[in-house]
Formats: sequence, C-alpha cells, structure tokens
Amino acid sequence: MTRDYDVIVIGAGTGGYVAAIRAAQLGLKTAVVEKQKALGGTCLLWGCIPTKALLEHAHALKIVQHAKEWGVSIPSTGSGQAAGAVGIDMNQVHTRKDRIVNGLTKGVEFLFKKNKIDWIKGTARLTGNGGVDVFEGEKQMLRARKEIIVATGSAPRSVPGIEIDRKRIITSDEAIHLREVPQSLAILGSGAVGVEFASIFRRFGSDVTILELLPRLVPVEDDAVSAELEKSFRKQGITSHTGAKATGARATADGVDLDVQLADGSTKTLHTDYLLVATGRGPVTTGLNAEGVGLQMEKGYIKVDAQYRTNVQGISAIGDVITLGGLSSQGHPQLAHVSSAEGIVAAERIAGQEARPLNYDHVPGCTYCDPEIGSVGLTEREANARGYDVRIGTFPFGVLGRAKMAGETDGFVKIVSEKKYDELLGVHMIGMRSTELVAEATVALRLEATVEELIRTIHAHPTMAEAVGEAAHASHGGAIHL
Amino acid sequence: MATDVVMPQMGESIAEGTIVRWIKKVGDKVDRDEPLFEISTDKVDAEIPSPAAGVVSEIRVKEGETVPVNSVVAVIGPASAGATAATASAGKASGEATAAPARTQAEPPATPAAPAAKPVETPKPSPQADGSPAAAAARPAPEPPSPPPAPKAAPAQPARTASASTEELIRQRSSPLVRKIAKEHNVDISQLQGTGIAGRVTKDDILGYLGQEGRERQGGREGEQQRPIARPSLVPSAPAFKPGEFDRVEKMSPMRKRIAEHMIQSRRTSAHVHSVFEVNFSRVAQARERHKAEFERAGTKLTYLSFIVKAAIDALRAVPVVNASVDGDTIVYHKEINVGIAVALDWGLIVPVIKHADEKNLLGLSRAIADLANRARAKQLKPEDVQGGTFTITNPGVFGALFGMPIINQPQVAIVGVGNVEKRPVVIEDAIAIRPMAYLSIGYDHRIIDGAVADEFMSHVKKTLETWDPNVV
Repeated sequence: MTRDYDVIVIGAGTGGYVAAIRAAQLGLKTAVVEKQKALGGTCLLWGCIPTKALLEHAHALKIVQHAKEWGVSIPSTGSGQAAGAVGIDMNQVHTRKDRIVNGLTKGVEFLFKKNKIDWIKGTARLTGNGGVDVFEGEKQMLRARKEIIVATGSAPRSVPGIEIDRKRIITSDEAIHLREVPQSLAILGSGAVGVEFASIFRRFGSDVTILELLPRLVPVEDDAVSAELEKSFRKQGITSHTGAKATGARATADGVDLDVQLADGSTKTLHTDYLLVATGRGPVTTGLNAEGVGLQMEKGYIKVDAQYRTNVQGISAIGDVITLGGLSSQGHPQLAHVSSAEGIVAAERIAGQEARPLNYDHVPGCTYCDPEIGSVGLTEREANARGYDVRIGTFPFGVLGRAKMAGETDGFVKIVSEKKYDELLGVHMIGMRSTELVAEATVALRLEATVEELIRTIHAHPTMAEAVGEAAHASHGGAIHL
Repeated sequence: MATDVVMPQMGESIAEGTIVRWIKKVGDKVDRDEPLFEISTDKVDAEIPSPAAGVVSEIRVKEGETVPVNSVVAVIGPASAGATAATASAGKASGEATAAPARTQAEPPATPAAPAAKPVETPKPSPQADGSPAAAAARPAPEPPSPPPAPKAAPAQPARTASASTEELIRQRSSPLVRKIAKEHNVDISQLQGTGIAGRVTKDDILGYLGQEGRERQGGREGEQQRPIARPSLVPSAPAFKPGEFDRVEKMSPMRKRIAEHMIQSRRTSAHVHSVFEVNFSRVAQARERHKAEFERAGTKLTYLSFIVKAAIDALRAVPVVNASVDGDTIVYHKEINVGIAVALDWGLIVPVIKHADEKNLLGLSRAIADLANRARAKQLKPEDVQGGTFTITNPGVFGALFGMPIINQPQVAIVGVGNVEKRPVVIEDAIAIRPMAYLSIGYDHRIIDGAVADEFMSHVKKTLETWDPNVV
C-alpha cells in the first residue's frame, strides 16, 4: 500500500529536518526518510555537535593545564602527581559527548512528534511521479502529492592517491570516535575540519602535523586570519606545511607512512599513528536513483535553481548534496546553517509562500579551532577582485580587558569596507568568541549597514564585541584604544 | 501564491495613476473583485477591484503617490500567509489615525502552526523592471513626494515642509547604505520600488535604478522622450504666496489638480464668448407630466435635462460646427455626437460622456444620464466613459443658478449651461402669464463659432423645447 504525504523529505540532517518542520508548520503533511538510527544527520552525529563537544573538553583541559596561573589548586591524587601533569580521560570525554548528541537527536525526535512528522526508517529510492520507495526490512511505498525534498547531504572524501581504510587512514567520522589520544597525527587539509581536529588533538597531547596543498591555512578565510592562525598554531606546537602535497599513504600495523612533497620541492616521508583525511566532502546519492528519475547532476551534485527546484517537476534538493551552478560565486557552502536556511526557503515555497533567494555573500562561517574564527562577507582579496576601492580597519583582541581576563589575547577583528559609500563588505575575526561575534557582523551585512553605523552602535564594555566597534573606528582613521 | 496588484492601464494614453485611498489595509482579507483601492488618473477616478482573493500582505504605494501604470502597488498573499509583520507603511503614512483595522481574531486560522512572526516576503522585482518604457517612467517625478493629506477636521497647521524631510526618507524602508547612495546621487528613495522584505529598498534596487538612469542619460534624446509627460504648471508666474498663521493648507486632490489644469488650459486655448437664451418649458413640462409614470415603470426618471440633451442633439445636427474641434489651423467636424454631462461630486467634478447620443431616444438618454451620474458618484466610471466627448451640457440650475457662464471642455468648442427651471411671469401675446421658464447659456469658442452661428444653434434648441409635442417622448 502506498502512503501519501504532501511533502517527503529524504534525509534528516539539518537541511532535511528543518525543511520538514517548516513544511509541517505550514500545514503540509510531511514525512522524513532517514537511514541512520538517529535523526540529525552529519551535524548532530559526526559533525558540528560532537566536534565542538570535544573542543569544549580541550578548552577545559587548557584551563586545568594552566591551573597555577588561574590560582586553581588541584589536590594531589595520593601518588604526589603534580598539577602540571593533568591528562584527559577519553572514556569520560566520549560519554559526555554522546550524552549531548543523544539529547539533541532525541530533541529532533520530539520536534517531529510535536509537528506530526512521520520518520520513515530506511534508504529512500526515487521512483518518479512523486514516488519514494523505502528499503529497510519490508519495502515501503510513499508518494508525495506536492514535492520531494532531497536532503541527503555529504560524506568525507579523499584525494587521489590516498585510500581511506578507516583504521589508520581515517576521516572525521572515525576521528570523532577515537578512543585514544594518538602520539602523533597527520592531518591532510586545513579547512574547518582539519584545523579543528588539529586543535583538539594538540590540546589532548598529540604531535600534530597539518598538510595543506594551498599556500595558507584555512584557505577560504581572509589572508590575515590565515597568518594569525599559523602563528598561533606554531606557538602551540602544531606543525603546518602549506603548499605541501601528499603523494601517497600506506597504513602499517601501528601507523601510517605518508609521502609528502613540500613547498620547496623536497620530499619526505612522515610516520604518524594516524592520518586524518580532511580534504572535503562529496555528495551522497547512493541508492537514490537520481539519474533514474532524470535529475540533472553536476560532478555528482544535484543541480538546482535559486528556489532549490531540480530540473524534475516535484523534486527539490537542498544542503550539501546540491550545486547552484553559477548562482553562487564561491561554490555552494556545505554548512549546517546554510542547509537549514535552504530548507526553510524550499518548504515555504512548496507551501505557496513567496520564496526569497538566499544571499550567499552573507553566509557566516565559523571554525572552532583554537583560536576560533568567525567571518562573513568578502575577504580583502575578494573585495579587491570585485573592483571595490577597499578600506581596512583592524583591531587586536589583545588590547581588550575582556580578552586579558580570559587569557585569550590572540587574534583580531578585521573589517573590509569600501570607500565610496562606506559599505560594509566583510568582517573577519580570529580569537576567543569570534564564532559568536560574527552574528553582529552578519546582521550588519544583512541590513546593508555602513561602517559609520557600526561606529555609532554602542558596544558594551567589557566585551570582546568592543573589538568590532573599534575596528569600525579604525576603518575611519583611528580606533580609540589603539 | 502571492499575487501582485498593479496600477491598471486606464486607457491608452494614460501613463500613470495616483493612489487616492486604500480601501483595504495590510492584513485585511479581500475577495476577488472586491474594491481594493481608489485611483485617480488623468481621466477618471476609479475603484480598482482586487485581482485575487487572499490577504493584503503588502502595500507598496502610499496614498497620494503617483506611479506608472503596471507598477506593483500591493501584494495579495494567500489567505493562510497571515500578513502580520509586513506593517502597513501606507496606513501609517496616511493622515488617518485609524491605520489598519485590527484583523478579526475570529477568523479560523487556515494554517495551524504558521508562526505569527514570519514576515510575508515580497516577490522579486517584476521582469519588466528594466529597459521598458514603463520602467523608465519610474524615475522620480519632478514634484516632491506628496505629504499625507491633512485630515479634514484637523486644526490649522502651517505647511512649512514642502519637500521630504530626512525623517520621511528614513521612514521609507531602506538601509543605511541605500540612504548613503541616495544622498550621493540625489535620489528620492520614496520614488523607488523596494524588493526587500516589506518593500524595503535594497542596495540592488537603488543600484539597479541608478544603472537604468545612467543608460537613459547615455540614450540622450531618446531617454528624454521616455520621461513622463511634464504637467503644465497651473499658474506660470503666480506671485509668491505665504499662508498666514491661521490658514489651513491642504494639498489638492489629484482630481482637483486636473480640474485646475483643464480649466486654465481651456481659458488659454479658446476665445470664450457667452450668450444666454430664455426658454419656455411649458410644453416640456406637460410632456414630462404625462410620461413621468411611464418612465418610472421603465426604471428611470424623466427630467428636464433629458429633453435639453435631446434638443441639443438635434441642434448639433443642424449646426455641425458646434460639434467640432480645432486642430491647428483646421476644423474637425465630428461625425459622432457624444454628449458630455457634467456631474458635480462632493469631491469635485467629472464629465462622463453619452456615446452616440444621437442614436438614443428620450428613454435611452434618460437612462444613460442616470447611469453615468450614478457611476460617477460611486467612482465606477471607466476611462472610456469620460473620453470622446464632442459637446458638453452642464446644469448649474440644480443649485439654483439663473444661468451659468461655463468654460468649454477642451477639445470641444461649445458648452451649454442649464439654469434653474422655475415658474416666472412672462408676457405672452400682451398678457402676463405664469410659465416654467429657464435660461440656457452657451459658452462657445469664437475662433470657429461666430455669434450668429451660436445663436442659430441656441435658437434651434429653444424652438425644439418650446414646440415639443407633449404626447411624444
């Protein structure tokens, strides 16, 4: 028997589950097909949530490691262990992390019940004309009266010459569950995933080496942010090789041999316990029968328009699995909050509301390395490339009282604007709380603020946010406290 | 889906229209074809029905604003969308303190769980937004945006702010960046169509507008021709006027402005001459008495005016130059006889036209007069109802005037004014008798109608009325 719904969402990640809730809120009968044992997708199960949980553990450890500085006394454990030799209990780390993840996935389940959304467990296959077959145990047949939303997401993928064995040559999926603190870890790729795991495991005690093919770390960020991170990583003892290419990797019984060609052309072989491949994520469409129903694909991604419609009537797609073609200049960002925003737009459009396309120049990016990075809008380099008469204002966190109190004085806020209309183009920051501070900048961009508006905005004292106001002042010729 | 409501094309030559009043406010439910707003164009004032059923989710053009035809003036959202957050900028801006009537809570919510705070989003700019003549006309009109009309009962207020204040510019939904760009380029933001949430003018909107303007400037003369028709100034060199402290200053309604323009223009165009005839309405009165009931059964009233129109039509046939126009140095004799009837309104004056009046009998004329007058008062006239007139009759007598000296309705060349029909002592064959009498006046254009011809025409009218066969209608 075929079950009918208005909307069938395939995938319960941050794109899919948000789209489903929005559709249900707008009165559409909605089902979500998910093959995993829990709702929430990459973000909740292997991505944002568990990694940031580990980072909080790393931060806690950082505080305790500096207990003396903080004046915190740690009673000896009987055998005369000194405070300087504090360690991390990975079992407890995972227990706490899993508790957080479970709580959140249960939260999504609750939201489904509240909004009367059916969770259909299994793998979805498109059959055309609104049909979706779900395979798990007995085949179930579903039909979407209005629309199917494909939100199948992405999975880590490797680069040529590096084969992932999930034991020694691993991805973030395995790294998140690593029960030991490796003696040494090589990380391929210095995007968000790479630098976040570098921060986690360096704090936990591993020797970490990052290999980045491009000439700088976090290549999507502003050049100044990359330079600051590289400097900070160096201080923390993380080795970064930029412009370096991994030419081969062999897993051994207790480690990995990694062949590297460095920027200067020399080659060497690194021996580490693990190799974490963090070179990007590819679309997941296995078993979906996307080509079978005639979906137009581009390099494995599902091609959609600005309203997330595919070329096939009645099928939309959102999130990591899509490509917007030329509609997004930077390529389509694979971020949880982007997927959610797309899911809301798609659901509202399906419910008959006016759907306003997203502005991909206003997507905030947050990278939870230590020091963390928050950025939105154009980098200095991009602004120059677009022909703006660019003006820069920078303010270092180190001057701020709030940063000194926290002992987190690395980093800065950098504002990219243009001279003609004083238009705010981008805000880039690295340092404590940057991932929170970027919210102010995002609203400012959204509301088409000028730098003058940021200057006239009163920033509370003592906060890290003062640096945003001061960077705005700096743009106009002089920060007050510098 | 949301439906755009556009300024309708109210006739071929009409390029723009003014929103006089919003009958529905943001958040109001509206049925298809239910009156949504009132407009005033070069030709008529009209109530415009809603093109779709739903909820008014957005009003883009304030009362008193003039926009090119086909501009989106409002958006009708689906009934379920709940136009909550899109606040009625128009409602606020209008002088009426009673902005949007509160949405009736009794309405069954069509969508159970739609969060109330979700703003109704506005559609993308209409595809004709660039290049087309309609869009080109979207450039700011030379006049400053009209301040909201003062409420009728308002105390005297000095009108010192003729142009838009900074505050008004900020109230116009825009952004700091847009205001900065607008200042730089001396653009009146209130003249722009915003495509952002709730009609907000965004950076793209203003840059698009500036780009378009740039193109036009480069287009040189062609661009010039696309400019909206410049209105002739009402008073070319009026002495400067300064309102006194206790004066009430009120902006002219679009209709009033039009009347003013037309009257001045007519006075400048035609060589007005007037003459007055006295007409004995005895026989018409008899005819009217005899056939009144019959006409009432047929659903209309038999008035003196119907007879006068009929008599005028006969006279126009006999003296064709009265049913003519001047075109440069030629005289255009109209084949059709289309008689305009001036209708006084509480808010002005309008002249709807009985088309092919010469093809109608008295009953047909009576019906046509009643229909046009009713529709004029109900603002239901269509542009074609006020176009194509070749001759006009006005009736100052209804207000008690003995006779009027009417101004010609251009491009016509004559207008007849009807005085009050009342019983007066008259001398008939050396005896004094009481007769229903009225003065009929004619204003005519001496450029093509000489006194003798005008009087010939009026004599014809007089004769027809005074010799009317009371048995024939």
